[in-house]
Amino acid sequence: MTSDKSREGCIVCGIVAGRVPSKKVYEDELIMAVLDVNGSNPGHCFVIPKNHYPIIEQVPDHEIGKLFQVSNKISTAIFESLGVQGTNIFVANGIPAGQTVAHFTINVIPRKENDGINLQWQPKQLDEEEMSTIEIKLKEQSKNIGNFEKEKKAAKVSVAKPVEISDEEDEFFSKQMRRLP
Amino acid sequence: MADQNMSPEQLKALQEKIKNMSPEELKEFQKKQCIFCQIASGKVQARKIYEDERVIGILDINPANPGHVLLLTKEHYSIMPQLPDDEISHVFMVAKSLSNSMLRSIDAQGTNILVANGIAAGQRAQHFIAHVIPRKEKDGVNFVLPQKTMEQNEVEAIGNKIIAALGGNIEKEEKTQIPMPQLTQPKPAPEMKKQDKKEYKKDDKDAAPKTGIDLDDIAKLFGAK
Repeated sequence: MTSDKSREGCIVCGIVAGRVPSKKVYEDELIMAVLDVNGSNPGHCFVIPKNHYPIIEQVPDHEIGKLFQVSNKISTAIFESLGVQGTNIFVANGIPAGQTVAHFTINVIPRKENDGINLQWQPKQLDEEEMSTIEIKLKEQSKNIGNFEKEKKAAKVSVAKPVEISDEEDEFFSKQMRRLP
Repeated sequence: MADQNMSPEQLKALQEKIKNMSPEELKEFQKKQCIFCQIASGKVQARKIYEDERVIGILDINPANPGHVLLLTKEHYSIMPQLPDDEISHVFMVAKSLSNSMLRSIDAQGTNILVANGIAAGQRAQHFIAHVIPRKEKDGVNFVLPQKTMEQNEVEAIGNKIIAALGGNIEKEEKTQIPMPQLTQPKPAPEMKKQDKKEYKKDDKDAAPKTGIDLDDIAKLFGAK
């Protein structure tokens, strides 16, 4: 199934459309999960929306819910079938965060001791004032979180509707993402 | 918190007590021991960024970057596979919104969302946590995901194992082609049951995979005794 919102030149859209070979492990109307020959560990799965969304902010809430549900099921399946010692669910959003492909992707990564993957960090020391400033800013910006977008039942009928992002939003995101290929 | 200086007798008595607990008692016991449950219930103070009836987002006191948020479920789950689907949806819709907040309020240029399941994956706490980490260029955070190259047939074989463990979720329409496990499975493959059904309903894909997985086994991986 191809998507109305697939983007030319996007390798992930190419995988969704079947133009780029991959091993599919899950598929439904909106989501696909695949393995490829370049994972970080054997069994590294990429969970992707079929629609082309460069970053997480553009993925509708109900799709986010389903994408992570699928990721959790795959993570559980990896535990059961590959005899690993752990899994990571990892999203890189934006180039400074390590995003390499401009199509939102959830990495589900099987883990073993000393496997060469590093998702640890050196804790940064902040003083009370810095912590308080961050707390106030982030809390203020986060106070309207909630009222999540439910699945639109009519979405399938209105085919012609393009990406639902206002110009202002679009400009904001392109600024964030300007260096994505 | 369990006393680190327990005598061997006391430790043995405690282990015995835990062994004889009902699942409900055990959950209650874990909850009492869990610092994040105490944060969620307000008994321990934290810098709260977001809270609703199901989750709470707090600033990490050992952040990868300023603004690093730990998103916790109020319910105690030691590992992600224990979370029901609706809880998963809610947690990550909030994580998305927090990521958005970071881009808008604290000049983040990107974000990472990270969950660690198991000590080998970097899990340190016995309570499910989704990390939302604001990122900037040259911020000193150095996540390394090396690219390993595998043979196509190896990818195929591993993929088939995962498909089997998922319950043959793929290629729903072509019932005869449901991929079978490559190795002998100790438990009956769940897709056998599905094949008996006359037709597939769309809802099937949302049903939890009947993997027969024992969460206790997974919990052991996390150092649970």
